[in-house]
Amino acid sequence: MTFVGLAVAFLGFMIAFSSLGLAESTGARMGLVLAGIMVTLVGIMGVIVPAYQKTWIWKR
Amino acid sequence: MTKKLVFVFAVVLCLARAGTVHAQAPADAAPAAAPAAAAISAEDLKAAVKATDRANGDPDGSLTGTANDIAISDAKAGLTLTDVLNQIGANRIGVNFAWTLLCGFLIMFMQAGFAVVEAGLCRAKNANHTMMMNFMVYGVGMLAYFLIGFPLQMGGAGAIANLGGTPVLNSEFTIHLFGKDIGLFGNTGYLLMHHGTYDVAVMVIFLFQMVFMDTTTTIVTGTCCERWKYSAFMVSTMFLGAFTYPIFANWAWGGGWLAMLGSNFGLGHGYADFAGSGVVHSVGGITALACALILGPRIGKFTRDGKPNAIPGHDIMWVLTGCFILAFGWFGFNPGSTLALSGNGGLRAASVAVNTMLAGMTGSFGGILYMWIRYGKPDASMSGNAFLAGLVAITAPSGFVNPVASAIIGLIAGVLVCVSCEFVERVLKVDDPVGAISVHGTNGIWGVIAVGLFSDGRSNYGGSWNGVAGNVTGLFYGDAGQFVAQLMGVATLLGFVFVMSFVFNLFVDWFVGQRVSAKSELAGLDVPEMGAVAYPDFVLRPEPAMAD
Repeated sequence: MTFVGLAVAFLGFMIAFSSLGLAESTGARMGLVLAGIMVTLVGIMGVIVPAYQKTWIWKR
Repeated sequence: MTKKLVFVFAVVLCLARAGTVHAQAPADAAPAAAPAAAAISAEDLKAAVKATDRANGDPDGSLTGTANDIAISDAKAGLTLTDVLNQIGANRIGVNFAWTLLCGFLIMFMQAGFAVVEAGLCRAKNANHTMMMNFMVYGVGMLAYFLIGFPLQMGGAGAIANLGGTPVLNSEFTIHLFGKDIGLFGNTGYLLMHHGTYDVAVMVIFLFQMVFMDTTTTIVTGTCCERWKYSAFMVSTMFLGAFTYPIFANWAWGGGWLAMLGSNFGLGHGYADFAGSGVVHSVGGITALACALILGPRIGKFTRDGKPNAIPGHDIMWVLTGCFILAFGWFGFNPGSTLALSGNGGLRAASVAVNTMLAGMTGSFGGILYMWIRYGKPDASMSGNAFLAGLVAITAPSGFVNPVASAIIGLIAGVLVCVSCEFVERVLKVDDPVGAISVHGTNGIWGVIAVGLFSDGRSNYGGSWNGVAGNVTGLFYGDAGQFVAQLMGVATLLGFVFVMSFVFNLFVDWFVGQRVSAKSELAGLDVPEMGAVAYPDFVLRPEPAMAD
């Protein structure tokens, strides 16, 4: 799951970055960048953190 | 005679202004023709102070520093107008060199602040280990930066007019995408000898950027203390100083694609980060989060049902003293980022310094009030963290906002750091003994966003920023494009820097092993990792029983 989380987090960056080519207006770019940030946060906090918590010492 | 002197002075002033404009020209511009060497007559110099005038000393300083002190290029010709103009140029760049170097020295001293804050917040049995990480982070980070990091970051930065131009830093690796050149990393300046980079201006910018990078690397040691294997720390720091930090710093400060969002895509002035809330602090805080996830929490930090236990540090005196040392160093960090006191908005350093003070003050107020209201006491370590959070948050906007905005940014940061520490500990269940993820990561991102909101369009650094004419202006003052550029920086920090740091530290975990053994951790890392305790004359009390 760690690698899935990393892929989701990186996907968020790619969404934000691609707004430079996909959109012309500032509003559309802002929407895409915010969406990218949300996807990244889901990848980090929603996937990577729970995956790692399973291995931590107080869970064993 | 007086009229003649006034005339010569007026000519000198006019030509000095012309020289200032030339200093902003791009790196590849041809040098301006040297002004005609108009001789200054002996008559002009009659009024100059003679050596004999100082036979009785110069108690009020009025006889020291005169025309006699101007370097003459040709003794036969005597003092010429060219000599005077060269002296003016040398003085301007000399002032800027002195300012930037001194600020760099101040920033270097922040290492001491970080060291005592982190050591004070860890238990006494880990004090030597924590201090040694902070000690060697300086050398390890610098070595990596000298060998690889600096060329990647600044190799394509172009001329820096305030330092007399550094035209040799002119090689940026780019790819062509969306119809534009996207700068990815610099490619000159290896060992400070490559392609003419054995150059005084390059040395100044190297020293200044190196101490910035070292600040980033020392953020991680705080989060990972009390359980990080020393060998893993060294490898991880080497990578951060060689690749992670320099690549993002190139994108933001070295002419990379984030800096060019304005000129290439019309997003304000591109990503603007005056002194590094994002480049320095967020990169450090986000890398700290990645390492903390891989390391896991300290033994005893959480109960089996995930409830956090408080593990107090061993010396709050050092913690708060360290905060003051850091705040002192911050006057190098932020005002020094003008890279000048003379020309191109250098005097704005005064405003930057005041903004820095104000945000630190309101940050500590915000944190103290939050803790007092929520827990009934003004917690000392959180007060220190809130102070630092205010300073972190103002680091990016300090050059672009007014004093009232600085106070607001700091106040929000002071509250935000408390909320973020609770979130990191109770929701993410990530163990961060010093709160660095919240202080530097969360508030670094807040500082980046604050640029896009509060920049008032009144800061002019030589007429343009990141190659876009005019002043940086935030959303509240009418430029939504600048806000989008800042958000793009946040997306890059979270989605690129975090992933890069995480993947590399996974490799370190696989090949070196990140965490010490449970036995070493329980004993304290001073003896197992460093071979000596920090306080040999003291008897350390046994570990207090923690909730299971």
